[in-house]
Amino acid sequence: MTDYLSKSVLEINSLLKEKKIKPIDLVNEAFMKIEQNSYNAFITLNKEEAIKEAIELENIEIDNPLFGLPIAIKDNICTKDLKTTCASHMLENFVPIYDATVIKKIKECHMIIIGKTNMDEFAMGSTGETSYFPLAKNPWNSKKVPGGSSSGSAACVSARLCSLALGSDTGGSIRQPSSFCGLVGLKPTYGRVSRYGLIAFASSLDQIGPITNNVMDNALLLKAISGSDVNDLTSSDSEVTHFTRLIGEDVKGMKIAVPNYYMSDVIDLEVRDKVREVMKLLQEKGCIVEMIDIPYLEYAIPLYQTIALGEASSNLARFDGIKFGHITDSYDSIDQLYKKSRSEGFGDEVKRRIMIGSYVLSGDNANIYFKKALKVRHAIKDAMVSVFDKYDLIIGPTNTNVAYDFNVKSDDALKSFYDDLLTIPVNMAGLPGLSLPIGFNKSHLPIGMHIIGNYFKEDVIYKLASFVEKELDLNMDPRGGDLC
Amino acid sequence: MLIPTIGIEVHVELKSNAKVYSKAKNAYSNEPNTFVDVIDLGYPGVLPKLNEQVIKNALKACLACHCKINELMHFDRKNYFYPDLPKGYQITQQDTPIGYDGYLEIEVDGKKKKIGIERIHIEEDTCKSIHSLTGTLLNFNRAGVPLIEIVSKPDIASPEEAVAYVETLRETLLYLGISDVKIEEGSMRCDTNISLKEENAKEFGTKVEIKNIGSITNVGLSLNYEIQRQKELINQGVKIIEETRRFDDNTNTTILMRVKETGNDYRYFPEPDIPYVKLPNEWLDEIRKNMPKLPNELREEYKQLGLNYNNIKTLIANPDIAKFLDSLSCDKVISSNLLTGDILAYMNKNKVSFEQLNLDSNLFVELVSMISNNELSSKQVKELLPVFLEKKESPKKLVKELGLVQISDTDTLLKIVRDVIKNNPNSVIDYESGLDRAIKYLMGQIMKESRGQANPQMANKLLLEELSKIEK
Repeated sequence: MTDYLSKSVLEINSLLKEKKIKPIDLVNEAFMKIEQNSYNAFITLNKEEAIKEAIELENIEIDNPLFGLPIAIKDNICTKDLKTTCASHMLENFVPIYDATVIKKIKECHMIIIGKTNMDEFAMGSTGETSYFPLAKNPWNSKKVPGGSSSGSAACVSARLCSLALGSDTGGSIRQPSSFCGLVGLKPTYGRVSRYGLIAFASSLDQIGPITNNVMDNALLLKAISGSDVNDLTSSDSEVTHFTRLIGEDVKGMKIAVPNYYMSDVIDLEVRDKVREVMKLLQEKGCIVEMIDIPYLEYAIPLYQTIALGEASSNLARFDGIKFGHITDSYDSIDQLYKKSRSEGFGDEVKRRIMIGSYVLSGDNANIYFKKALKVRHAIKDAMVSVFDKYDLIIGPTNTNVAYDFNVKSDDALKSFYDDLLTIPVNMAGLPGLSLPIGFNKSHLPIGMHIIGNYFKEDVIYKLASFVEKELDLNMDPRGGDLC
Repeated sequence: MLIPTIGIEVHVELKSNAKVYSKAKNAYSNEPNTFVDVIDLGYPGVLPKLNEQVIKNALKACLACHCKINELMHFDRKNYFYPDLPKGYQITQQDTPIGYDGYLEIEVDGKKKKIGIERIHIEEDTCKSIHSLTGTLLNFNRAGVPLIEIVSKPDIASPEEAVAYVETLRETLLYLGISDVKIEEGSMRCDTNISLKEENAKEFGTKVEIKNIGSITNVGLSLNYEIQRQKELINQGVKIIEETRRFDDNTNTTILMRVKETGNDYRYFPEPDIPYVKLPNEWLDEIRKNMPKLPNELREEYKQLGLNYNNIKTLIANPDIAKFLDSLSCDKVISSNLLTGDILAYMNKNKVSFEQLNLDSNLFVELVSMISNNELSSKQVKELLPVFLEKKESPKKLVKELGLVQISDTDTLLKIVRDVIKNNPNSVIDYESGLDRAIKYLMGQIMKESRGQANPQMANKLLLEELSKIEK
C-alpha cells in the first residue's frame, strides 16, 4: 500500500505536478487505510463522491498547493448533501442543504472531502467520549482517548488516514486533541475564519481551524479557509496574509512570555519539563523568555461554564423536532413533542450543559452570573492582550497532561472542563493559539506546547512553531511508535 | 373616583428590500413558504445578517417620535419555545433599544397632550401559524420580517386618548413611508394594558393586558369595556388580578386568555452573532435632513391656511393628496375643497388611487384659478371635473368643448335678472320685508333660467341693484 498521505502538502503537490501521482491515488490510499483501521475517526465517509471528484480533477490544472488533497471535516461543519450529525442522535440523519463557507473555500481549492469526522456530541467534551457513535481512538495508544471535541479529525490525521483536517475550537477542541495525538492544531483569531455553516456550540467562542502533521501544512490550510464573509458578521476583514511568510526566519530577539499560571503544580511534571526544555532551547537561540503573571486566568473555567453553556442553551433550542433532526414517535401536545424529541435526541452531556446554560441565564441569574461573566471576560481579554505590549508570543503547555484512558473523566461532570484550563483563556480573549508537539512522556505519549499570539498574528505563531519543529525534529508518526 | 392608566405597545412591520436578518424578500405572497431562506428557517449553522435599510427606517420612526438614540447598540436573544419561532429565540433589542425616551403629541377635543414613548426597538416577526383540523401549518414568509416595537409610557388617561395616540402614531409612520400600518392586515398590531386607581393614589392598580385588537376603533371599545368591567369588580370589593385578555369584536367584550403566574423568563442575553452597531452620524444627519412634514406639523399649517376640520382630517388620511396640495402655489382653500371633495369622490367611485389619477399640477392650478376668478359656477365645476380627470386636458379648452362658458355679459345677464324679478313678485315682496332667503331663491331662479351659466357674482350684483331700484 502506498503512503503518500504521510508526506507534507508541498511534497505531495510536487508529486502531483510532476504527474507521478494523481488525486485518485491519494483518495484510494485514504480509503484503503480507513478500511484497514479507521480508529473510528469517521462518522460518514464520502467515498463515491470523493472518487468521482478525484477523477474529474485529472482534467483540471493544478493551481494551488492544496489541489487534489484529501481532507477530513469535523461533523459539525455543514456539507451540502453530505450527512452532518454533530455526533448526535438528534442529527443522525441530517443532510444539510447548503455548504458552510469553509467548505465552499475547500471546494474552490479542489480539495477532496473524504469524510466527516467523529467528535464529542455538539462539540461538548474533551475526550471524544460523548459521541453518539463508536468512539474515536488515539492512534498512539488505542486505550487512550484522542482528546476532544475534534477527536476524529485528530485521530485521522495522526494515523495518516488523511493529511489534513478541519476541527472547531470553543475551549480547546482543536488544540487539546492535537496535543494528545502529536499534531499541529491551530485555533485562529476569532473572526479569522467564517463560522457560517458551523453548527454553533458557543457563538462568541467557536472558531474553525486546521489540524495537520506539520506547521507548514497548517499555515497553508489556514490560508485556504480564512477571510471575511458577508454571511458572518463576526468575521474580520483583517488582511489574509501568506501565513507561511515568516516560516524559516530566525527567532533571535523574539520576546516570549511564559505565564506562571501555565507552569503551576496542577500541570503534570513531565509536561512542564518538556516545556522548560523548549524555553531553554529558545533562550540559547537568542530569544528573550520571561515568566510573567497574567491576572484573572483562574476564572477561565467558571467563565466558560457560564458563557459557553449559556450560549449553547440558546443555540441548541432550534432542535425541537419540528423542522429537522430527531422527532419522537408519539406525542399528545406541543410541549410533549419538545420534551420527548429533545430528551431522546440529546445525550447526557449535552442535556447537562443545556440545563446549566439555561440556569445561568434564568431570571436574576442573568445578572448574577452571565452579565458578571461578560465583565470578567473583558478583564481576562485586556490582561492577555496587554502582554503583547511587551512580548511577541506567549508559550506554555497546551494541556495539564497527556492523553489518558477512556472512562476516566466521564463520570465527573466538572473534571473534563479542567482539561481546558490552559486553552479556554485563549478563546475568552479571541486570540489565536496553536498546539505543537514537543516530545513524549515516559509512556511515549505526545506532549503539546501552546503558542499564543496577538490578534491576527498567526504568522508570528507559525514562525516560532516551525523553528521549534525544525530544531526538535521529532518523529510524530504513531506508526513508528509503540502501538498501532 | 377611579381613574384609568393606560399604556400601549405597538408592533409595526417595516417596509424593506429584504428581511431584517436575511436576504429573503420582505413581501406578501399568496404562495406560502416562497420568500424563505436557510436563515429564516433557523437552519443549523446559519448566522444572521443585518439589513441596513431596516435600521434606517427604524431611525426615522425614532426621530419622528422625538426619541433619544442609542448610537452604540446591540441586539439580544429572547429565548422561548414556540413552533412559530424557528430558532427557539427571537433576535430583538433588550438593553439598547435604538430609540428611547421620546414622545408623541396627540389632540383630544382641541386639547393637546404629549404621550411619552418609553422605547422603540428592532426585532423580527415570527412564522404565521395556520391551524387546521389535521394540524398546524407554518408559513415562513413572515419569519424574519422586520418589526419595530413602540412602547408608550403609562401616560394615557382615557380610551379617547388611546385612540388618538394610535391614530397619530399610525399617521406618523404612514407619512414616514416606512410601513403600510394596516391594522386590519396585521402590519400594525396593538396591545394595550390598563389599570385603575383612586385619583389620589400614588401606586398604580393591577395591570390587565388586552391583545387581539383588530382596529383603531376597537382600541377604544376594548378599553371602555375593560374600564367598566374593572370598576364593577373593584366596587364589589373583588381584587383585580394580573392577566391577559383578548378583545372579542362580536360581543365588544374582553375575554380571559391567561393569568400571569410569574414573570416570563426569556433568558435574554446579548446576541453573539451580531457585533455592536455604531450608528454613523451621517445616517442621522441624512434622515433629519430628509424628514418629511409630519401630520401634526401639517395640521397646524392647514389651520393657518384656513382649511376646515373635515378637509384637514381627509388630507391627513390621504398623504398622497396632502403632498400634492403642499406642492401647489394657488388658492389652498379652493384646492383642498376640490381635492377632498369631488376628486376624492371620483377616486372612490372609479376605484383609482391618487397616484393612478396622475393629476397634472399645472392644469389643476389653471382650474383653481378659473374657480377663484368666478369663471365657473359650482355646478359647472361638477360637470367639468370627471371630464377633466379623464382627459387630462386644459380646463379652459374643456369648458369650451362642453359649452360651459359663463354668461358674464351684463346685457344678457340683466335681461335674465329683470325677467326673474318680473316673474316672482312674491319674492320681491319678501325681500322688501327683510327676508334674506328671498335673495337665495331669486339667485336660484337666475341660475335656472341661465342653465347654470350665469356668472354668480355678477348676477348677484345686478340682482341687488335691480331690487334697490324697485325699492325707490
